[in-house]
Amino acid sequence: MAIRVGIDTGGTFTDLVAIDTASSQWYRSKVSSIAGEPLRAIVHALDLAGIDPEQIETLILGTTVGTNALLQRRGARVAYITSKGFEDVPFIQRGNRKFHYDLHWSKPKPFLNRRNCFGIAERVDYRGAVVTPLETQELEALGEELEKLCASGDLQAVAVNLLFSYLNSSHEVAVGKWLEQRFPRLSISLSHQVASIWREYERGITTIADAYLKPLLREFISGIDGGLRRSGFCGGWSLMKSNGGTRLAKEAAHEPVQLLLSGLAGGVMAGKHFGLEAGCDLITLDMGGTSCDLAVITGGHERYAAQFDVEFGLPLIFPTIELTTIGAGGGSIAWVDRGGFLRVGPQSACADPGPACYGQGGVEPTVTDANLLLGRLNPDYFLGGQVRLDPGAAASAVSGLALKMGISKEDAALAIIDMANENMVNAIRVRTVEVGIDPRSYCLVAFGGAGALHASAIARRLKIRRVLIPPHPGLCSAFGALIADLRSDHVATVSLRSTTVHAGELRAHLDRLAAAACKELKEEGVEGKLQVTARLAMRYAGQNYEHEVELPTLDITDPMLRDAFGRFEVLHEKFYGYQLAGEVIDIVNITVSAVDPKQRTLPRFERHATSRPAGLRKLRMRSSGELTVPVHHRDTLPPNWTGVGPMIIEDVDATALIEVEDRVTVLESGSLVIEIAKEQP
Amino acid sequence: MQTDSTELTLLHNRLTSICREMGVAMMKTAYSPVFNEGFDFVCSLFDREGRMIAQAEYNPSMLGAAIYTVEWMLNEIGVECFRQGDVWVHNDPYRGGCHLPEHMLLKPVFHKDELFGFAATIGHIAEIGGKAVGALAGDATEIYQEGLRLPPVKLMDRGEHAMDIWKILMTNHRTPKLTWGDLHAMLGSLHIGESRLIELLEARGLSRTLDETKELMQRAEAWMRREIEAIPDGEYRFEDWMENDGITDEPRRIKVAVSVRGGEIIADFTGTDPQTRGPINATYAVTAAATYNAAFHLTDPQVPRNAGCYRPIKIIAPPGTLVNVQHPAPEIGGNSETHCRIIGVVMGALAQAVPERAAAADGATGCNFLFGGIHPDTGEFYANYHFENVGWGAAANHDGNDAQCAPLAISRNVPVEVFETRYPILVRSLRLLTDSGGAGLFRGGLGTERILEIRAPEMTVSALFDRMRIPPWGLQGGSAGGTTSISIRRAGDSDFRLFTDVFHTVTPSKFSNIIVRQGDLIRIVSSGGGGYGDPFQRPARKVLNDVLDRYVSPQQARNLYGVVLREGEGTLSFDEAPSRTMAGERGAASVNLKA
Repeated sequence: MAIRVGIDTGGTFTDLVAIDTASSQWYRSKVSSIAGEPLRAIVHALDLAGIDPEQIETLILGTTVGTNALLQRRGARVAYITSKGFEDVPFIQRGNRKFHYDLHWSKPKPFLNRRNCFGIAERVDYRGAVVTPLETQELEALGEELEKLCASGDLQAVAVNLLFSYLNSSHEVAVGKWLEQRFPRLSISLSHQVASIWREYERGITTIADAYLKPLLREFISGIDGGLRRSGFCGGWSLMKSNGGTRLAKEAAHEPVQLLLSGLAGGVMAGKHFGLEAGCDLITLDMGGTSCDLAVITGGHERYAAQFDVEFGLPLIFPTIELTTIGAGGGSIAWVDRGGFLRVGPQSACADPGPACYGQGGVEPTVTDANLLLGRLNPDYFLGGQVRLDPGAAASAVSGLALKMGISKEDAALAIIDMANENMVNAIRVRTVEVGIDPRSYCLVAFGGAGALHASAIARRLKIRRVLIPPHPGLCSAFGALIADLRSDHVATVSLRSTTVHAGELRAHLDRLAAAACKELKEEGVEGKLQVTARLAMRYAGQNYEHEVELPTLDITDPMLRDAFGRFEVLHEKFYGYQLAGEVIDIVNITVSAVDPKQRTLPRFERHATSRPAGLRKLRMRSSGELTVPVHHRDTLPPNWTGVGPMIIEDVDATALIEVEDRVTVLESGSLVIEIAKEQP
Repeated sequence: MQTDSTELTLLHNRLTSICREMGVAMMKTAYSPVFNEGFDFVCSLFDREGRMIAQAEYNPSMLGAAIYTVEWMLNEIGVECFRQGDVWVHNDPYRGGCHLPEHMLLKPVFHKDELFGFAATIGHIAEIGGKAVGALAGDATEIYQEGLRLPPVKLMDRGEHAMDIWKILMTNHRTPKLTWGDLHAMLGSLHIGESRLIELLEARGLSRTLDETKELMQRAEAWMRREIEAIPDGEYRFEDWMENDGITDEPRRIKVAVSVRGGEIIADFTGTDPQTRGPINATYAVTAAATYNAAFHLTDPQVPRNAGCYRPIKIIAPPGTLVNVQHPAPEIGGNSETHCRIIGVVMGALAQAVPERAAAADGATGCNFLFGGIHPDTGEFYANYHFENVGWGAAANHDGNDAQCAPLAISRNVPVEVFETRYPILVRSLRLLTDSGGAGLFRGGLGTERILEIRAPEMTVSALFDRMRIPPWGLQGGSAGGTTSISIRRAGDSDFRLFTDVFHTVTPSKFSNIIVRQGDLIRIVSSGGGGYGDPFQRPARKVLNDVLDRYVSPQQARNLYGVVLREGEGTLSFDEAPSRTMAGERGAASVNLKA
């Protein structure tokens, strides 16, 4: 009864990594996900890894169930209650559009019908003062409308979003209480609880998404719970949250939007865990089948964001590890546009039919097909031989494209790889401007099924000197779930100015948020001392984007507060080249995070003993044409082993490409470090 | 030389990415909401001959104009006069610009002491010291009333602030702090563009990069020509109206004949009314930008946006007309209002050639509403340029979007909670306006209604609207979309009235510097999009849903769609057969395409 299990259920695969904390034995498995039946894949993964459910102490699950339900519009029937006059805010949205020159683009649908949006007479102003009090007869009229909807089966959940509720929640609380009494069966989401920040559309659509997902998540969680219990599991289990922390499953059901980037966050946590061994700042690159996700880790800390666009025009507010997602993965489809320019993505062959070489009916050339054609992938050892790749199918798919471009299929494959890499390089460049860092001093941590094949070329273009590839790059999300801490983030929008704010005022906010965050962790059964930190998002009065400054302690004094304003100015200058000394600074958001700082010392992520001999393979590269290069199996390489590229290092779940003259070294943890030799423009 | 093709694509992607990086830096540091919410700026790169080599996807109205502005600056300054670390500023509409608030900043980029080209940004500086706060005076009669006019002058001289110019700017703008912050955001953006471009040149070399960018332009041009070749040859005519110029209350005609001949489009505006005394005149750059915008909407959006893609599109705009204004006429509304109308007439003309790609008219106005005063909380002066989103036109197979920014820009609206925190106004309501979408087989998108309550002792307001009388046209039997309006209910009154009635302004849609007071309500209605196709052909079930979702009123369902709704046992049902034969009140303005 000492096994700790991390599972990531993605669209394509369900991954598992587990550790028996008593015997230090590792378990791992990777199985195909089964659409609509996550439980079966989970049970299968446990079975394949040889884990007896009775022996599990803790299980942590990362899942995309919420995100998929949003994208496929498979949630609950929701009614929206808001301040009178603002019923259309979810439909008006922000007015900008996805494409510059497209008359035929339709703006996103906000998860509910306009007829189910109701206004109530009440109003709070920008200072939090009540302008129009909420009268009970308002609610009575509303009650009749909702009852009608209930009667016709058109209502399962209610989202309440009143203007300025982030400053004064009393009206929302009153509506919530009334709903609970009058409609005990409905699931209720209140905006000041879901996302206590300003901007009524963003807060509103997040509250709607919360309501939309709650019934579904509850069902999902009870389904998994029941299934696990039936198999003999008697431990506790949690879900991975977007902020890289975990939440007890039964509690997580109440906060579905917190789970939206659950799997991706796991990847970043694993990337950070292994990357910190390289001892510098990190950019994590999680490249899977359909997308590539980037995160920046500076000084050992991942960055946090408050918002994520689930699709264009649907920005959801929840604390998340800051991620940039681009449509560049192994399954990204290469095509030639009408002007004869090669493009890769954003369309993806996904898992079904998958790349042409999967032999499941895909005919369009993908990045994976190009990799196979160039000799970078072993057709007989994809996922350790679980999937056999068809080089003929890859070649014919790429040939079609090559014909259109009038070049050989090998050149076309190289072009596909270059283009995919360049897409990622450009995304990283834009990202680094956004966060104000210089990527050249960073280490690129690459994982996901396809990351290790592309990392060196991407690093070289960005003048990044070092690439780190964690052990089992294809299982990083599951590993991240396994090592994740209990974590709770609480954010509030405030209106504080550097000219008038004093420490006492700020302390009151900090204490309130800290109490909420700590309460949440106590509910999780955490005992003992929590690590509580706070950050202030500030900007010069008049600007619209904030920078975060960490506070040294929650027990803040006036000098500390002055110091924080000073650090903001330094940050601003560093990012943008100037500061406005003496200008008024606004504190816009306060974030308090509580973490259970349990230090888990993990045994080395041990390798399976294997005697797969080193081999040779023909490989084609842009810089050096066709070469015959050695192929090593990762499990045969001991710590401190080192070699110089070109070479290929195969692993059960991913393949690493070491380019010409780059030096690779195996670290104690089992990670590979690649020193990038020189620039090749 | 096919590897070159891949290299070229990579170069194009890299250059575009540099422009995006410039945009990110600008958006993050700018002070005015018009930058960071409104995306009212442009970031682009030019070669040393002033040809645009790349741009990022920001404000489309400025993208088309930027090529003229840069060309003018190079001609006037002389390419040999640019030094490392210089930044030039320019906003003169009579020197290749769009309208006065649009400031172009141009920075030369050198590789090993040799000029490669330029990083360029255009940004909308919100307050430039004209007769009305926020520059958009609806009743200006000379450019001198519209704000501070800058010929190309140095803003930065070899890396140092050119203080003389800064002092003039800071003295003449009403909110100098914002100007200072926004100009610095633009400078930061140019710095990013310059340093990324230098990095790229170090890797590729200057002459190779110049050759490749030339090749990229040729390819973009060839692609655009192929796109145009796919449009049937012919001459397509269209006209529409600006309903007044703010000085005399008479409509002004914009007329176009668009010829498609092989791979070339010629938009000839001959026959357009003379330039006006009021501020609705468009400069040639505005007319060209609007024409490009319309053409881009009807061709493949993937065509690389460099100088090449503009070449096959020619514009004939007779000087002295509404579409090619001559000094010293006012022109501030030419870019925000007339611009929309020019896009509309070119699209309307081309719609006859490619009806399946076209759409009915969008609301096509910014509903520009400007206000300023002393904030009672802070005692500080504030100014704001507020605009509304409009309904988009329906097309051959879909309804129009509700409440979108008109196609000339890509601006986001300002959230009510942000708005009220900044300005002494309480927003009473913000709704989609039922029935404002033009009826049709496919329905036009809805416009909005916003009611503002003034919460300061006094406030100065100005407006520059259009589409108050002449609605956005429908297509193929679809009805026109709803019109705009701006009206006021004085504190203590019970009705909303037009500004002509209350303040005796010459026109109801264009005026400046009206003083309103605490408790006054201002109602702003934006226009809806035109409908597409015969409304009687719209399936009755869809009309029923439109009624249930309050897009269409039961009256309009009966009158325009011929669908009579019956209420029974708490549900609505429809009765199609008898009523649909009844001739409804059909929309006034619909354009029928022959094709």
